[in-house]
Amino acid sequence: MAAFTYAPAIVLLPFVSFLVALFAGDRMPKGGALAGITATGGSLLLSIWVALTVAGGGYHNEFIYTWVAGVESVTLRFGLLLDPLSALMLLIVTLISFLVHIFSLGYMNDEGETGLPRYYAGLGLFTASMLGFVVANNLLMAFMFFELVGLCSYLLIGFWFREDGPPSAAKKAFLVTRFGDYFFLVGVVGIFATFGTGLFAPVTQNGEVVAQSFPVLAEHAVVDGETGPIAMLDTVGLGAQAWFTVLGLLVLGGVIGKSAQFPLHTWLPDAMEGPTPVSALIHAATMVAAGVYLVARMYGFYAISPTALAVIALVGGFTALFAATMGLVKQEIKQVLAYSTISQYGYMMLALGSGGYIAAVFHLTTHAVFKALLFLGAGSVIIAMHHNENMWDMGGLKDKMPVTYYTFLSGSLALAGILPFAGFWSKDEVLYEALIHGLGSEGGLATAYVLAYAMGLLAVFFTGFYTFRMVFLTFHGDARSDTARDPHGVRWNVKGPLAVLGVLAATVGFINMKPVAELTGAHIDFLHAWLAGPDEGGWPAALVTSSHHYEELLHNVAGVAAGEPLGATGTLLASAAVSLGLALAGAGAATMLYRGPDPVEHTDKLGGLKTLLMHNYYQDEYQVWLATGLTHPLARAMDKFDQGVVDGVVNGISSVSLFGGSRIRRIQSGVVNNYAALLTLGLVLLLAAFGLAGGWF
Amino acid sequence: MVHQLPSWAGLAPALALAATALVLLLVDSVDPDTTNTSLLGGVSVVGSLASLAFAVWFIFGGTGIPTSEGGVGTPVLFNGQLVVDQMALFFMIIVASVTALVTLASTDYVENHAYQAEFYALVLLAATGMSVLSAANSLATAFVALELVSLPSYALVAFLKKNRGSVEAGLKYFLIGAVSSAVFAYGISLVYAATGVLRFDGVATAIESGTVQTVVDGTVQAQAGSPAVPMSVLGVGIMMVIGGVAFKIAAVPFQFWAPEAYEGAPAPISAFLSSASKAAGFVLAFRTFAVAFPIESLVSSGEALNWFVVFQVLAIATMFVGNFAAATQEKVKRMMAYSSVGHAGYILIGLAALSATGDGMALSMSAGMAHLLVYGFMNTGAFLFIALAEYWGVGRRFEDYNGLGRQAPLACAAMTVFLFSLAGLPIGGGFFSKFYLFSATLDVGAWSLAAALVINSALSLFYYSRVVKAMWIEEPTGDRSIESYPTGLYTAIVSAAVVTVLLIPGFDYVSSLAFRAVELL
Repeated sequence: MAAFTYAPAIVLLPFVSFLVALFAGDRMPKGGALAGITATGGSLLLSIWVALTVAGGGYHNEFIYTWVAGVESVTLRFGLLLDPLSALMLLIVTLISFLVHIFSLGYMNDEGETGLPRYYAGLGLFTASMLGFVVANNLLMAFMFFELVGLCSYLLIGFWFREDGPPSAAKKAFLVTRFGDYFFLVGVVGIFATFGTGLFAPVTQNGEVVAQSFPVLAEHAVVDGETGPIAMLDTVGLGAQAWFTVLGLLVLGGVIGKSAQFPLHTWLPDAMEGPTPVSALIHAATMVAAGVYLVARMYGFYAISPTALAVIALVGGFTALFAATMGLVKQEIKQVLAYSTISQYGYMMLALGSGGYIAAVFHLTTHAVFKALLFLGAGSVIIAMHHNENMWDMGGLKDKMPVTYYTFLSGSLALAGILPFAGFWSKDEVLYEALIHGLGSEGGLATAYVLAYAMGLLAVFFTGFYTFRMVFLTFHGDARSDTARDPHGVRWNVKGPLAVLGVLAATVGFINMKPVAELTGAHIDFLHAWLAGPDEGGWPAALVTSSHHYEELLHNVAGVAAGEPLGATGTLLASAAVSLGLALAGAGAATMLYRGPDPVEHTDKLGGLKTLLMHNYYQDEYQVWLATGLTHPLARAMDKFDQGVVDGVVNGISSVSLFGGSRIRRIQSGVVNNYAALLTLGLVLLLAAFGLAGGWF
Repeated sequence: MVHQLPSWAGLAPALALAATALVLLLVDSVDPDTTNTSLLGGVSVVGSLASLAFAVWFIFGGTGIPTSEGGVGTPVLFNGQLVVDQMALFFMIIVASVTALVTLASTDYVENHAYQAEFYALVLLAATGMSVLSAANSLATAFVALELVSLPSYALVAFLKKNRGSVEAGLKYFLIGAVSSAVFAYGISLVYAATGVLRFDGVATAIESGTVQTVVDGTVQAQAGSPAVPMSVLGVGIMMVIGGVAFKIAAVPFQFWAPEAYEGAPAPISAFLSSASKAAGFVLAFRTFAVAFPIESLVSSGEALNWFVVFQVLAIATMFVGNFAAATQEKVKRMMAYSSVGHAGYILIGLAALSATGDGMALSMSAGMAHLLVYGFMNTGAFLFIALAEYWGVGRRFEDYNGLGRQAPLACAAMTVFLFSLAGLPIGGGFFSKFYLFSATLDVGAWSLAAALVINSALSLFYYSRVVKAMWIEEPTGDRSIESYPTGLYTAIVSAAVVTVLLIPGFDYVSSLAFRAVELL
């Protein structure tokens, strides 16, 4: 299909803009911004085309380049996988990136920043890497682009490298995510060693499978007991399901690092040191989304492992609550948003872990929109406030920047999960899935789900609270500083993206209004239809990536079952009512406390708890202790071992060699008689030895 | 193509070299004292290139490939005394290439010496011997060709008549050579006594059938009364033939001449001996042991020699002696001499990495051949660089090369390529050829050989790097002025470097050529 022929250009266009900005950015108007806007705009159009083609039943899974051809072993290739999931993600990434590029005109160019070519080159490469990751059809290619995404985030977070904070934050982001990526890399190697392939979905030609994918192979091994071809199982001495759980958890290490889940979330708040449009890109569509997307991409592999699912659900639920509490006391607007991001990705992990594949993708979509909106809104406020980010210096901006206020409000309502904004629909579905599966499953899985659900539910209240605390402190009341009294204006290039996202934040939830669909019986859960595919044939049969298939696996293999004590409709409505009620309660509490012209710091009443929250539960401190108190002495001991024992052995070998060499050279005495004698002697020795061995005498 | 030519034309590569030698002698007799380097050198280079052109033309024209497989057949001369097959042509290419490089480089090196015509004539006569040796299909022809290689070589090593080292080295080389030739000739006589034939295919028939053969009107047939082959006599004979070969390739325990001859000889001659002469020794070994002494029949007869075990012992001993001695040398040329011994050990893997049934021979032998081809360029180049250093009057020690990279960057860059390629780094074809040797050892599970190869390669990196470090990193000591950049030497060095690098992409082609040549034996 024509759209698929041009699909590689979706990745290549931003890459070209990277090259253009890097090498010609100095000589171009706007420092390469226009190239970036054109490229991401082009990618957006192509992504829409691809999405329309996929909507028409098309799919694509082909190799485009072989870079290591294995003989009777693993072959390493680049390839494209375009199915509803990747098509949707392409839309999200290109849309957000396009808007971020436009917004950057206002945030970077209009503010007279230097180093713009470097900035736009970074944005271009960042977008290209993420798009390459999204379309990757195998795990190794995904890993490579995953790492590129990490590199770009390093470059962009550290954009203002002359100041103290950004380089340090960039290093932290790089190192912490790299820590998770070690596990991911081991997992990639393990998956290749186990299955001989890293394909996410089978490659078919004329209906015949020519290259099987690893989730399907794993499924065959677990469901049908076809463990024969998997020699690795004998090597590790584990059962199929146990070993696949190990592999899945290893890959999950990379996911936890990138998606900033507990305990590797510490890099993300520091990453706020980067330019705000970059934060929007990182949080909404690229870096952080990559982790969750990876789990969704290889969901078939996780769906057969109840242990991995439980771990994912618990990590997600805990992170959602944990991060939300830290967001309660932050004073800087971007810090609040940072913790909200960690919390929201926790919800997605919760959904994935508790069998809510569609819910997770849904929340990924809506979150991308409203979080990009909130960050860009915060960026607009920061421009207005002359780069002062402290909310206690703001106040009263509502009347001075109405576009920013109303769009930010739309994003906040979505984040808090208030009907009918986008976040309500998706968050409600996440919690609903966790609830029914917690009630319906059995054993430890049910306990994990119920616990995760409880944490997720509690986090709803905190989310509502910190969101509206942020809104009231920033926009309401009286201005608390001179800059807030006379804010800097913003131009169309800031308002335009805000308006687009503001409308979307209010409406994007309508793509999957499950409660409404349930009540009215109308088939308006479009996302569900999009990800489940036609019942027979089409891409679900060929690619085995449909949500329908995943649900079967979850039910039959992992034992994830739904329990609906109040009946289907009743449970759905009850769940929605509870989460909406909590969100409203949280928002209401914030309104009560921070309304009025001159709000006070109510968080002071928390006393020691506030200190604990301000210090983020001393997470950084204990991680620094791990590095300096534990790892460093260990490394020193290793160094001693290396210097003493390893080097000693190496030096010993070399001196033995040189000594041997000096002995050998003495054979060469210079006297030809000796040579003749030794030569003859050698020959006689050989003759005697082989003669005796051969039995000649 | 060749099938329209008479079969003697198959020897064209050797004949071209012989004719060039005669032309040089003719020039010498017309004008005995000529020092017209460009005429003499030019004739020699043209002659070697003509030989190279013939060999390349033949090998790609399908000479040596049976007509049934799309080739033009194998020319067989003098009742099977000589055969021009793919292996012969492969080695003729090596010999001609090295000869061309060496004669080109010599134009500068012997510029101010007397008896230049003799020098070139001797080089080309030796090259003729090597070329004929490549095609020799009988022990008698092989012996004659071997002597045709050896005798000019002795004279060439001693060419610097006023240099004590050169003359002494020549004499020692001659004496050791005489002993070795005696061993070789005696070995041949024993093989003849045991089998009744000298032709390789005849010897093979005798071993396979276990009965003494005779040649009647060019065909091998069993001797009247079918007397049995005395296997122990044959074993002693084979061992002595190995001795003769070991001398030519400078393998333990016949390596004693090599360090001194290479060091004393004019550097281009060292290059010639350590590359071309070694290759000629190896083609003799490959053909003799692959064709005349089929390992499968020998092993199944139970009594005679498992020669591949002998080669395993020799290979390992040669690798260790060559490399360990090289590691402790102070002079660059002597280090290269020992490294050349070490490389003989590597290439011996071609005859050592097989199983008792002869499996793996195609892989290991073709790996050895490919290594010889790459070696022909990288080793020649390295010795020619030493010739350049001698031409400039730079000293012989490692320290004397300090800082040379600043004065002669091009030549030093080429030298770096040669040395690292010799060490087996992927900067030249040496990486792949060594890798193939390594995989050949793994193919038959010869772990001792594999381990020796790895240990010695690692050690070799140490002493090769010493030269590189001296050239590029160390500060120059004392003052040294380089006044001229000799064109001939430079051209030869740079072309050797270019070919060494080009053999990375071209290696696949070379190895498949060598593989086919072995398969066709």
